[in-house]
Amino acid sequence: MASPWIAIGALALVAIAIPLGMMVVSSLLRPTVEEQGKSATYESGEIPTGSTRIRFNIQYYMVALLFVIFDIETVLIFPWTVIYRSAVGSAGLVAALVPMLVFIGVLVIGLAWAWRNGAVRWVKSPRAEQRRQERQRQ
Amino acid sequence: MVISASLVTWFSGPTLQTAPPIGDWVALTPVLLLGLTALILFVIDSIDPDDASNTPALAGTAAVGTVLALGAAVVLLAAGIGQGQGGALRLYGGQLIVDGMALFFTVIFTSVATLVIVASYDYLADRVYQAEYYMLILLAATGMTLMAAAGSLATVFISLELASLPSYALVAFLKDNRGSVEAGLKYFLIGALSSAIFAYGISLVYGATGRLGLDAIAQQLSGGTQLVGILGVGVLMVAGGFAFKTASVPFHFWAPAAYEGAPAPVSAFLSSASKAAGFVVAFRVFAVAFSPDAVAASVDWTLAFWLLAAVTMTIGNFAAATQDKVKRMLAYSSVGHAGYVLIGLAALNAGQNGLVLGASMIHLLVYGFMNTGAFLFVALAEHWEIGRTFEDYNGLGTQAPIACVAMSVFMFSLAGLPVGGGFMSKYFILVGAVGTGHFVLAALLLINSALSLYYYSRVVRSLWFEDPADSLSIDGYPVGLYAAVIGAAVITFLLLPGIFLASDVATSAASALFA
Repeated sequence: MASPWIAIGALALVAIAIPLGMMVVSSLLRPTVEEQGKSATYESGEIPTGSTRIRFNIQYYMVALLFVIFDIETVLIFPWTVIYRSAVGSAGLVAALVPMLVFIGVLVIGLAWAWRNGAVRWVKSPRAEQRRQERQRQ
Repeated sequence: MVISASLVTWFSGPTLQTAPPIGDWVALTPVLLLGLTALILFVIDSIDPDDASNTPALAGTAAVGTVLALGAAVVLLAAGIGQGQGGALRLYGGQLIVDGMALFFTVIFTSVATLVIVASYDYLADRVYQAEYYMLILLAATGMTLMAAAGSLATVFISLELASLPSYALVAFLKDNRGSVEAGLKYFLIGALSSAIFAYGISLVYGATGRLGLDAIAQQLSGGTQLVGILGVGVLMVAGGFAFKTASVPFHFWAPAAYEGAPAPVSAFLSSASKAAGFVVAFRVFAVAFSPDAVAASVDWTLAFWLLAAVTMTIGNFAAATQDKVKRMLAYSSVGHAGYVLIGLAALNAGQNGLVLGASMIHLLVYGFMNTGAFLFVALAEHWEIGRTFEDYNGLGTQAPIACVAMSVFMFSLAGLPVGGGFMSKYFILVGAVGTGHFVLAALLLINSALSLYYYSRVVRSLWFEDPADSLSIDGYPVGLYAAVIGAAVITFLLLPGIFLASDVATSAASALFA
């Protein structure tokens, strides 16, 4: 007869009743004052300016991509360094070292190419530059 | 019959030479050459990225790399590496498998890549980001050759992504062209969706068997499984991933948009090589891991492929018949051809596995040349800027007769007339379908081929029998594009008498999967 579900059901009832009760009681007790400021997005007194759709510089994206490459490189190098000594002992220096050198070499070629093609050159925004000059003139 | 004769010699053991023991890297020479060439291109482009004068060096390096890889694959195939008595070479704990099928498809990929790169030299003249273009082609080709050799579901997935990611960028290569960018986005979104489905399917198969290696899965499943439901859903999802890569129903709808919007050489590359790559992986996974003897009792996937083949070839051909633009017609015809090749999977488990799968492989080989050639002819038309519809091609035969003869060979060969290898490869598929008792598929194949003759011959009629518009004028005969188109036409034609060379290799390679 004492099914554990009875206790769970009772708990669920209480869990629903308490927040509902609190909301009902507070709505009975509190005074209602009509005021516009309550419907503002931020009630901190700060007035929002502009929309949320700001364009970020595309270069953040390039930097993030380069970061991911190095991140994954680290993930592979870490376990390799841990077993490196025993791997050299069992498989020899060449078998333990060369594959990692090839892996890093491929990444280095890619990084050098990205570098030469200006992936890490921080391009100045012409519009921001223009605004700065306008401010200086004033 | 020649095919059965080749089977007899293949099984007659002692007369065959066993492959000599060779290092891992020798068997992987084609893959390594392609990857290395891509890296060399990175280095060349790093020297002076803004200099447009190094274009010949880039195109030349890319072409030499693919030709060397092609040569290496042919030599390995001829030397019997991974074939015959020694069996397939299992490298890196079975993660990669080099056998007849892997090498056969490597030949297809590298041939198509070579044709596409040679043609691209003229097509890309005066465009920016050429180095990136050749790099992406080579990286995609590397991924495809790895797909052909993938020996576990993990390597299948990774190599599939290596082939796919460069393809997305290649489709959107003309980044100022609305159609190209839209096609790239569509291709990417559907590709991402199907990759997710594919990965989920792999996880379900892993859940049911606890293995990722193809042989290990087969071994696990041969004892039967309790989790038939999970395995069945997993198998279907894996099949869905392949349907995307091969542009088969129900994941075909990216194909017309992507092939039409992409630069024509890229369309050629994707519709020939990328499709073949999807098929080689599907063949290996379904023939080895979900081998019909072991799995078909619980999960009858041949029925699923039966339906896919029937629907794919019918939809592809009927849609192709209603198109106005030549490139879009070729895109839908490419869907239709995927349907023909799927017959090879649908007809498995009927006692003639090597024959039907071999027929599909031969069709993919011939298709690699005739379809690439047809798209490259479209590239030639785009280069001349004469327009995209059938009417725009009117009377082109008076201006560029040689290229138009080549295009006529491609069209009739695609339709299955005996002017090119397409006739023989379709005949093999038909023999396979009839021989295994799939008369409905055989009938559909014949009906669809007859229908396809209608729209393929529309192109030929435009080229030769319609009067040219007054404004029709072409400027120059670009050497690279012409060489690629004519080369593809010659090989398509030579594959008509020479098909038996390829069919022996293909049939024995396919039979080896079931040995």
